[in-house]
Amino acid sequence: MKFKRVIAASLAGVMALGLAACGGNNGSSSAPAKDGASEAAKTDGPKEISVCIASEPDTIDPALNSAVDGATLLAHLFSGLAKWEQKDGKLEIVADAAKELVEGKENADGTVTYTYTLRDGLKWSDGKDVTAKDFEFSWQRAASTALAADYGYMFEVIDGYDKVWETNDKGEYVNPDAKLNVKAVDDKTLEVTLKNSVAYWNELLAFPAYFPVREDVVASEKWATDPKTYICNGPYTLDKWEHNSLITLKKNPNYPDADKVTMETINFYLSDDANNMLSNFKNGDWLLIDDVPTNEIATLKTQYPDEFFNVGQIGTYYVCWNINENILPADSTLTGAEAEKAKAEIRNAVSLLLDRNYIVNDIAQGGQLPASSFVAMGLTDADGSQFYQNTGVSDKFDGYFDPSSEALQSNFDSAIETLKKYYKYDEASKKFTNFPSMTYLYNTSEGHKAIGEYIQSALAGVGITMNLENQEWATFLNTRKKGDFTIARNGWLADYNDPISFLDMWTTASGNNDVQFGKGDHAALKNYSLDLTDLGYETKVENGTWAETFDVLISDIKSCTDKDKRYKLMHRAEDMLMATGCLTPLYYYTDLYMLNKNVKGFFSNPLGYKYFMYCTIEG
Amino acid sequence: MNSKTLFYILKRILLAVFTVWVVITITFFVMHAVPGGPFVGEKATTPAVQAAMEAKYGLDKPLHEQYFTYLGDIVTKFDFGPSLKQRGRMVIDIISDGMKTSMALGLIAAGVSTLFGVTLGAVAALRRNKLIDRIIMVITTAFVSMPSFIMGSLLLALFAIQLRLLPANGSTPAGLVLPIITLALYPMAYITRLTRSSMLDVLGQDYIRTAKAKGVSGARIIFGHALKNSLIPVLTYIGPMLAYIVTGSLVVEQIFAVPGIGRAFVSSITNRDYPMIMGTTIILSALIVIMNLVTDILYKVVDPRITLE
Repeated sequence: MKFKRVIAASLAGVMALGLAACGGNNGSSSAPAKDGASEAAKTDGPKEISVCIASEPDTIDPALNSAVDGATLLAHLFSGLAKWEQKDGKLEIVADAAKELVEGKENADGTVTYTYTLRDGLKWSDGKDVTAKDFEFSWQRAASTALAADYGYMFEVIDGYDKVWETNDKGEYVNPDAKLNVKAVDDKTLEVTLKNSVAYWNELLAFPAYFPVREDVVASEKWATDPKTYICNGPYTLDKWEHNSLITLKKNPNYPDADKVTMETINFYLSDDANNMLSNFKNGDWLLIDDVPTNEIATLKTQYPDEFFNVGQIGTYYVCWNINENILPADSTLTGAEAEKAKAEIRNAVSLLLDRNYIVNDIAQGGQLPASSFVAMGLTDADGSQFYQNTGVSDKFDGYFDPSSEALQSNFDSAIETLKKYYKYDEASKKFTNFPSMTYLYNTSEGHKAIGEYIQSALAGVGITMNLENQEWATFLNTRKKGDFTIARNGWLADYNDPISFLDMWTTASGNNDVQFGKGDHAALKNYSLDLTDLGYETKVENGTWAETFDVLISDIKSCTDKDKRYKLMHRAEDMLMATGCLTPLYYYTDLYMLNKNVKGFFSNPLGYKYFMYCTIEG
Repeated sequence: MNSKTLFYILKRILLAVFTVWVVITITFFVMHAVPGGPFVGEKATTPAVQAAMEAKYGLDKPLHEQYFTYLGDIVTKFDFGPSLKQRGRMVIDIISDGMKTSMALGLIAAGVSTLFGVTLGAVAALRRNKLIDRIIMVITTAFVSMPSFIMGSLLLALFAIQLRLLPANGSTPAGLVLPIITLALYPMAYITRLTRSSMLDVLGQDYIRTAKAKGVSGARIIFGHALKNSLIPVLTYIGPMLAYIVTGSLVVEQIFAVPGIGRAFVSSITNRDYPMIMGTTIILSALIVIMNLVTDILYKVVDPRITLE
């Protein structure tokens, strides 16, 4: 008897522990003070903020960084010619180290030259002057073959870039002495010549790769791993870096606009575990977390309505098809261009079978928006309107099809009609009987799996068998790049606000051409037509290959200096892509984060960079 | 220590070196056979950039050449090379950072669990079938059967979120309290049970009865005879546990965001950071081999009946 009582008591104890743990706390009382210093800061109006945006950054060398979390840190540490700012709730690019963001002057050969004057009083964190020479050095370095940075191609708009990277048949660089056309005329004046006018040039100037570094500082690759050697010129300096644990930034008194910077200290805690981030947010230690556990999203939205945010990001979550995989029935007699036309029609029909509202509302649950185009929402057109709203397909909806719930049935019906042309349909069971089975490849993650399972069940409803296969991230990237798949999960986030960032990735030679356009069997397929004569070009191709049409179109876009014409060309490029049916957009990405409601003055940009310098903490 | 023992130790050390070499070789080739590479990302770099990076880190050379270069650097210079992912940092620095945290965490947890485990186990054995024994047994059963991710999450929810007594992330000394408790509970419970059964076994031995009959005091019987002899099985457990616990627990480090070696090891594999994978594997396997060797030698110290050969 005694023994039983003990067990009962212990069980009750364990349950009480569990219940208490599950209770959760909706209050947002301030964090327990950890030490005397932070206590003092709090009584004096908190000048210190602790946040968590990601785990240990791969690098915080501006030229080498290619990650969003690294970019957030760099935006606080460096001051480029331009920067992102929020004015009256609107984001804009303004001059930073440059006195003003000047207009370019077009030269006789079509190149465009910009001449920038640096502001007075620009200093490095060690007190030395920032000069135009530093910018010249940094840009040459960032675009160099020696550094081979991931984002070196961000400089491809500058005259001379192509020469730098030109190789012979053996893959050797032909012009080892080639340089970008960037010159420091004197200490204060920087002259740069672009290949042609670039709509997003000012945005590039605010991009971390374009931030200045000093030659003597970066001589050792280790400079960017230690606060002692980390010399920067931005609103903050690197005060402390406990690797894999914490990065602390302190306000830089040498920054010319230091009086506008309200936050003295920013603690970037380094963690990649969404559950741990949430625990630290709930107990008030961290005031912003940039990730939340997927299965908690629904609860958090209702529990923390003032603190749960999802903001637009310029990216699209989509499914990509391998263009060389056969999806026609085994007994199909179609070959060559005819077969490809049929496949394109089939892929687009399958896309219409999917309920994107269900995917965003019941599976992803992060406030994403159903997508009906590949170029994401948020990218602007020539006139500043949304690019995806101007596809010109219909006045009734945006994009290439109607993704609304109302259109679900009519989309479904038209898809079935299209598929009936190619496959046997059993009217009794309302299922196709000879659609070859396919495999959907995704990288191991609960979220991707759930979407894969939905697509699987949606297609099973009409008799199409789709198997699911998941692979670990690096393996998955490798498989997808090589084209060893039929259908694969995919996603793309743009680096700058210009639709070309979604389009040039599909040229034959692009490293991101997962669909395998212009590769393998598709290389010789003469199936595409391109007529640009109405836009004043000589290009007119009937039944050409992908290389003869799409690749030409992209290079025309890149050399086009007329803004209106350029955007028209970009719409043509997206039309071509969408017609292949190889890109099945599912939703436009949003950036999810949680921000303590006492924090004011915070903003983030469409690329996902977070800005804490103008924050204040109330209460 | 006689020459036989010395010879035994020498033999074991050579065997340990051989084991580590086998681990290096297998890891090296398996690692390179796995698809994907360190410079592959969602956004592909151009083939020229890719080639430039591979040339920079010597990944363009034939695999066997890379293998021998690597082995040579390890043996002659103890050089583990640079990390391919964390640009500008050396593998040895990353490992030593992680090991410092994991070691501190592990050693404290091991100490705590041994101290409490042996005490509780001894108490339970001496009060066999009494209330205190039953309470200890119920609690230890619960701790032994509860996986660390559940224990960790419970402690986190209770002490960090509900009561707000301790921070939820392990980057400060206060933040290490919860991970240490989480890490210590399982071995503590196990040691308790082990000590209890072993002690009960010893207490039933003839020489204990003899001591009692001779009128030796209770305390002397327990501390002088029973406890010492009942610790041999415990020691068998503590050796490997120590190796396991100081080499970092991924689960605990993940839950509490502790910057330890366990997390670094797993992320190095995801990132295909080859030198980092090799470095962590070598250090961890060497540690485990050494711990096992030390345990074997300790047997001899505790129990002279055991011969080392």
